[in-house]
Formats: sequence, structure tokens, C-alpha cells
Amino acid sequence: MKKSSIFGIVIIAIAIAVIISTYSNTSTYGSFKDARQTSSELHVVGKLNKGKELFYDATKDANYFSFYVKDNKGEECKVVFAGTKPQDFERSEQIVLTGKMKGQEFYASKILMKCPSKYNEKLNVTEANATKSASL
Amino acid sequence: MDTVFKGEHLLPGSIGQFFIVLAFGSALLSFISYFFATTTADKADNWWLRLGRIGYWLNTFSIIGMGVCLFNILYSHYFEYHYAWSYTSRTLPSYYIVSGFWNGQEGGFLLWMFWEAVLGNILIWKAKSWEKPVMTTLALSQVVLGTMILGLQIGSMHIGSSPFLLLRNAMEAPIFQNPNYLDFIKDGKGMNPSLQNYWMIIHPPVLFLGIASLVIPFAYAVAGLWVRRFKEWVVPAIPYALFGCMVLGTGVIMGAFWAYESLNFGGFWAWDPVENASIFPWLFLVAGVHVLIVFKNTGHSYFTATFLTLMSFVLVWYSSFLARSGVLGETSVHAFTDLGLFWQLVAGLSIFFVITVYLLVTRWKEMPITKKDEETYSREFWMFVGAVFLCLSCFHLIIVTSVPVWNAMFGTKLAPPTEPVKHYNVIQASFAVVIALLSGFTQFLKYKKTDVQRFFISTVIYLIFSALITALVVYVTGIYKLHLVFVLLMFCSIYSVVANAKILADALKGSFKLAGSAVGHIGFGLILVGALIAAGARSVVSINNTGERYNEEFAKDEDPRENILLYKNEPVKMGQYTVTFTGDTIEGAQHLFNINYQRVEGNKVTEQFVLRPNVIQSQGGMSSSPDTKHYLFHDLYTHITMTNVISSEQANPDADQHGPADDDKKYDAPIAHEIAVGDTMRYRDGIIVLKGLNKSAKIQSIPLTDKDVAVGAQLEITTNGRKYNSEPVYLIKGKSVFDFGKKLEDAGLKLRFTKILPEKGKVEITVYQQKESEKKYIVMKALSFPYINFLWAGTIIMVLGFLMSIFRRNKEVKAV
Repeated sequence: MKKSSIFGIVIIAIAIAVIISTYSNTSTYGSFKDARQTSSELHVVGKLNKGKELFYDATKDANYFSFYVKDNKGEECKVVFAGTKPQDFERSEQIVLTGKMKGQEFYASKILMKCPSKYNEKLNVTEANATKSASL
Repeated sequence: MDTVFKGEHLLPGSIGQFFIVLAFGSALLSFISYFFATTTADKADNWWLRLGRIGYWLNTFSIIGMGVCLFNILYSHYFEYHYAWSYTSRTLPSYYIVSGFWNGQEGGFLLWMFWEAVLGNILIWKAKSWEKPVMTTLALSQVVLGTMILGLQIGSMHIGSSPFLLLRNAMEAPIFQNPNYLDFIKDGKGMNPSLQNYWMIIHPPVLFLGIASLVIPFAYAVAGLWVRRFKEWVVPAIPYALFGCMVLGTGVIMGAFWAYESLNFGGFWAWDPVENASIFPWLFLVAGVHVLIVFKNTGHSYFTATFLTLMSFVLVWYSSFLARSGVLGETSVHAFTDLGLFWQLVAGLSIFFVITVYLLVTRWKEMPITKKDEETYSREFWMFVGAVFLCLSCFHLIIVTSVPVWNAMFGTKLAPPTEPVKHYNVIQASFAVVIALLSGFTQFLKYKKTDVQRFFISTVIYLIFSALITALVVYVTGIYKLHLVFVLLMFCSIYSVVANAKILADALKGSFKLAGSAVGHIGFGLILVGALIAAGARSVVSINNTGERYNEEFAKDEDPRENILLYKNEPVKMGQYTVTFTGDTIEGAQHLFNINYQRVEGNKVTEQFVLRPNVIQSQGGMSSSPDTKHYLFHDLYTHITMTNVISSEQANPDADQHGPADDDKKYDAPIAHEIAVGDTMRYRDGIIVLKGLNKSAKIQSIPLTDKDVAVGAQLEITTNGRKYNSEPVYLIKGKSVFDFGKKLEDAGLKLRFTKILPEKGKVEITVYQQKESEKKYIVMKALSFPYINFLWAGTIIMVLGFLMSIFRRNKEVKAV
């Protein structure tokens, strides 16, 4: 067999491996109900319940922020984020949480929010990352 | 429209809009003329060629005209234009007006067109026999870009988005019924605070020059296939391809530097989809350049060389599509939102993709493809392998970054990896291992046939040598604690640097030709080394050791200790530093926080400096920018994650006017002390000493007569190693008694002189101390990036290498 064909096969094998590893690494968008049924991390899209308390008090703990989110299926859950309160959090229109369920609370490792700007003309997206930063 | 609006400046917009249409028309003319100039059989007839050039010059002129008009609008603060209103404001410093220019998508397109115009003029001057077919492609590209800013409304659909759109046409609001509406629009929204950084003035022009320059190798490849000069196009295309790699690479790294300097990502690269998209074309073109050189030297790999060159430009359009169409939506922090250009971007992408596929298919049989295999011990074979691995690395980035695209195409609901940084780091590092290794030992090989024994000896010697250095580096920096693949990558990167240093040493002695590639690869190796140590050995300095935890259970699992709380003027020990938040100042839109760092050894202060991270408020949002202390071997990076300084000021800007009752709410319950002169009172944060009584105290704005008694209590407050003085006053005027309390904002105290007790020889001082939660504080995060200077130095060296190669390859063009 020619060397180039062997090389070609190797490359195709690597490409397939990449696709598979990517696919197995991608998570899914789900609800709090789904989060309760799995132990792995997933993304939950929802809205902030502005009626309930947003708790962040730097004087008590600078790395604890909790709030309530209603997911797209309408279920509400308390969310805890290990970091500071992202700026303009109250104004967010939609929130994408990454994390998992611990008991009755959802522990978010990342918050991505969409804020309406003035006149609702464009959406600004901001992101907040939780602590575990040195994770190379 | 019957209403006549007052105060609008319609002239610059009308001229600008005219230039937009002219630019589009002239680009179209130029494209058609160059097309016929290429295809027409009569070589003596220069009529089409001349028309093509005139069209292109006119296009260049109009683009400059547009730029002048837009700049005029921004500089004069004509907020009747949507662009000026959206991205600038009167308070914006004038040098940021320049970055306002490319703040919006339209400005980005304009910049792209501008550079393409400049490059086109260089080609008209330089390309000689290639001018006709090459300029056809450039003119076509100008046509496609021109449509993006046309701003034509046809029925319900619109083509392009014009930077000269009026505010009243951009949005619907009742205010625009009013002919005097401009009287109500005093100021623009201002620039997004994170863009208010000097890197934003220089990064976009460089990036767009890189993006624009990728059209040239593409145009040469297209021309070569189109007019069937299959082999000839490669040599003149190589210097341009190298130029594209150099400038685009610089632009991307500048973006990384901007992120590092001004964003609170906590790093220089976050694997954000938009960041990834910006290096797709770069990876492909770098691979392409290598294979082009292989083809030039050996005649092998023609198809791959052509394919990569063509695809790198298609990927430019793909990454524009990702960044600008809004498709990334909820996966990216800094993707633009949809301007209604989605299908237009798809069309632009398709045009260049279809050209690529069409030419490759129709010319397939005529291509000079070799049937022979390359030798195993030949440089061309391993360069080819390296190029393929660069493409694989890019392939992986494309697959993952495009998850939202797959969702849109196939209706799936995949989400990106939950730990994207880890995912990308591990897989990309694996590819980088191979690429770095190849960039080292391939340099020892020769084209066609190599002396195997010598090759193995030199390869092995340098492998062993690098292994020793790696062991040292890995031990010192602590990289060995990470995933094995990062240790391997460190080894291969160091090997690449060492091997290429050897090649460079030889090149300096003998033929200087190879020096460019050696320098370029040394730079690339250093970039990898720097990125690896800086990201891998990065550590959080601001570990919260106060033991204050709100929720023990939560803290146990997450160990969230990376943010630290600093009350004003209360020093906190943080790692080897003692940090104090000493105050804040407002400079323009920036709110700077002064943080004093002290390093104490024994009883001596060995080092002291102030970092001033800032928080910018604009467009109703806040953005926090870090400040960094640069050392030679590491950087100390600090940013504010939370503060009550700004919000509390907004909530009650003039708290004093709310009356005493309201004011007292900010304090804990008052404590009255009966003390004599010389006595000491304690409070939570320090002590207060009554130094003496001032019998002749004066009060501003109240004239005193002889019958009035005014006594001041001279108090000295000591808190956190600082001393303050305060003198509250007790006043008897007529039959009424008053007391004038004094506030000490810095110490968080309010002191009142409430009674005189002559029978006891004492006075009563009432102490109000600020509630713990009302005290001014900041929450900050400090990170240490070791050896990050390798990354920046590597970039400069790599650019230098590209530059040397451009000069070398350019000489070869003249020789041909």
C-alpha cells in the first residue's frame, strides 16, 4: 500500500475521533427537571424571577450569589453561583445557566445573560464565569 | 414624509450615501471590465483593462469619501445619525471617536473595503500579467462587500445596512413625530465600556488588513486555475500569503492582548466562538503557505496547496458569517447580533465557496498532480504532514464552534461543551504537540532526499537537549501537575525552539535564506511555551482566607474563595502582599479604584505600588477593566468584581438632604459615652480620644453673640493605623440647645456632642458607626500570570520571521 494512502487513513481516523469526542463532549439544553435526573453538567435556559430575592452580600461572603430562575418549562428553582453578582444582573431578559443540581439547588458554574439595551433595539450578551479558573 | 425636522445635518449623510452607491456601482463596473479584459481574445485591445482600472480607482475614491463623511458625522456629534448615536457620546474622548468608527458592523465592513481597495491598487501597480484575472476577483469581492453597506429597502427586505442611516429611520418611537425631536436627543448612547481601550484603536485596523489581504492568494489561485496558468500562480502568491499570515496573526494576538489588558475574562484567550472563528483562516493559510512552498520546491501536493489557499478565504467569509449573523446567539459573549444580514452573509459565503468548488472540479483533470510518492526522509513529506495537522486542528475548532450552525441546519438541540476551555485545551494541545514536533525536526531534513544517519543524529541530540530543558521548566513552573499532554506540548515546543535556533545559527553562518523560517518557528515555539505556562501555571492570588462563609455546605463543594473583600482603608493580607483599598477617583467615564500593594519582609516594606483597576459605566452597563503590574517574569493582574461604591452613590447622591432620621438609618444604633478630657472610648474599628474642649468654637453660617455658648469637642480617632481629627460642636443659643455632629466618611463614623454634664465634669459624645454593610468596600480578584512575556515576545519574533520570509520570497518572484 502506498504511504500516502496509509497517511490518508490515519488522518480520516483522527477526524472521526475528533467528531466523536466533540459529540460526546457537547452537552444539551435542558430544564431543571432534566438536571435533577442527571449528574452531569448541562445548560438550562430560563428567566430570572425578579419577584424573589436576589441574595448577594459581599460582607458575608464575597463568593456566594443566589437567585431564582424559572426555566422554559415553567419550573422554578433556586440557583447558587460561586462568584460575585454579575453586573446588571437584574436587567437580564434571558439567562443561560451551566451547572448541575445539588439537592434542591442548582449550582451554576457559568451564567450567560442577555440584557435588553435601551429601546429593545439590540441585545447585549454578557457572561460570568464562576471560580474554578485555573483549569487548563 | 411631510414633517420638516429641525436641526438635522443631512448633507454628510447624503454625500456618504451617494458614495456608497458609487462604490458599489464602480466595483461592479470594475469587475465586469476586468472579467472581459481577461476573457477577451484580442490581446491588443486594452479598452476593458482601462475601464476596469478606472472602476477600481473610482471605488477607492468613494470608499475614502465614505470614511470622511462618517468621520465627520462622528466627530461633530450628529446624533441624528443612528451610527453616531449608538456608538459615541459627547463625553467620549476624541481619540475613541476613531474606534467608534469601527464599533459597528458597518464600520467593520468599511474598514475591510478600505484595505481591499489599498491592496487592489498595489496589485494594479505590481501584478503585471496577472492584473486582469487577479483584479477580477478583487473587484468581485468589493462588489460583495459593497452590498453589505448599501442599505437599500426593497419591499420588506433590505439589502445591507448603511452607516448613514438616520436615527428616526432606524427605530420607531413617538418622539420622531416631533419636528424638534433633536432637541431631546442631547447625547448618544456612548461606547460600550469594554471597547474604551487604546488597543481598540489599533487592533481592528490590523485585523481587517489581515482579513482583507487573504483575498490576494485566493485571487491568484482562482486566476491560475481560470486562465490555466496552473504552476505559475504559486510563486507570486507566496509573499502575499505570508503577508496575510503575518498581519492576520498579529491582529488576532493584538485582540488577545486587548482581552488580557482590558477585559475581565481573566486571560488572553477564552476559546470564545468569535475568537476561534478569527483563527480559522489563519490556520488554513499557514498550512497553505507550507504546502505552496512544498509545491514550488518539489512539484508535489499541487491540489492540497491550491485547495488550502482557496479555502482560507472561504473561511474568512465563514468566520464573518459566524461573528456577524447572530447565529452564535447564546454561545458567545461578543458576537454581533443580527443586523438582518443573515442571508446576505450566507450569499457572500456561497459565492466564494461555489467559485472554489467550480474551479477545482472543472480543472481537476488538468492539474499538475504528481503520481509519485514523496520520500519518507524528505522535507516536503513532513511539511505536508504538518500542514494536514494544522488543518485538523482547524477542523476541530470549526466542528465545535459551529454547534449553533448545526443546530440551525439540522434542527438539533446540541449545546456547546460545558467545560469548553478544558475541552479545547486538551484537544488543541494534542494537535499542537504534533505540529511543534514537526516544525522542529523537519528543519533538519532536506528537500527530496536526506542523509538519514546525519538526520537521526542531529534530531536525537536536540531531542535529548530539549528534554533536559523541559524537565527543568516543568519542575520550576509546576506544569507537571497538569494533564500529561501539556507536559508533552512543553517538550515539543521547547524542541521546536531549540532545533530552529540551531538552524538559525547555521543560517547566519552560511546561506541566509533559511533564517526567516527559523526565526518564524522559534517565535511560534515561544508563543506555545508562553501560553502554556501563563495559562497552565496561572494562580489566584486573592484567596479569601477570612473564613467568612455564607453557606458552609456550598463552600465545601465549590470552595469558592477566589474573590476577596476589601473594606476601605482596612488592610488585608493576600498571599505575599498586604493590600489596602485606599480610595476611588472618577476620571471621565472611568471610575478608578486605588489599591495599595505592599510586600513586607520582616518589618521592612520591600515593595510598594498602587494598582488602579477601573469600572466604566456606559450604555447603562458597567464594565470592569483590570490593572496589571508587569514584572519581567510574571504579571500581577487585578480587577474589581463587585463594589458598593458606585451603586450607593447613585442610590442616594445627596443623602444629607434626606434629614437626620433617614441618615441615621445608615448607622448602627448610637452609643452615648460620658467621658472627661483625656479619656478614651472604644468602638468597633478603633479608639476615640477626647483631647480637649474648644470654648471658642465657630459654626459656619450661624453668627454667635456673647450670650451664646459654643463648645467643640476635640476628638482624635485612631483606626487601622490612621489618625483623624474631628470636632463636633455643642451650642446653646438663646434658650435652645443644638448640636452639630460631624461625619468622618473615611472612618465610617458620625460623632455628636450631645450633652455637657458640668456636675460630673464630663461631656457626652454619641458615636454612630456605619453599619458593616454600609461601609465602602470592593470585591476583587487578583491573578498571577507567570512568564506571559514569552507569549508576547514569541509573537514579535514570529512576525519578524514572516517578514524575513516575505523579503526572501519576494526576491524569488522577481527572479522568475
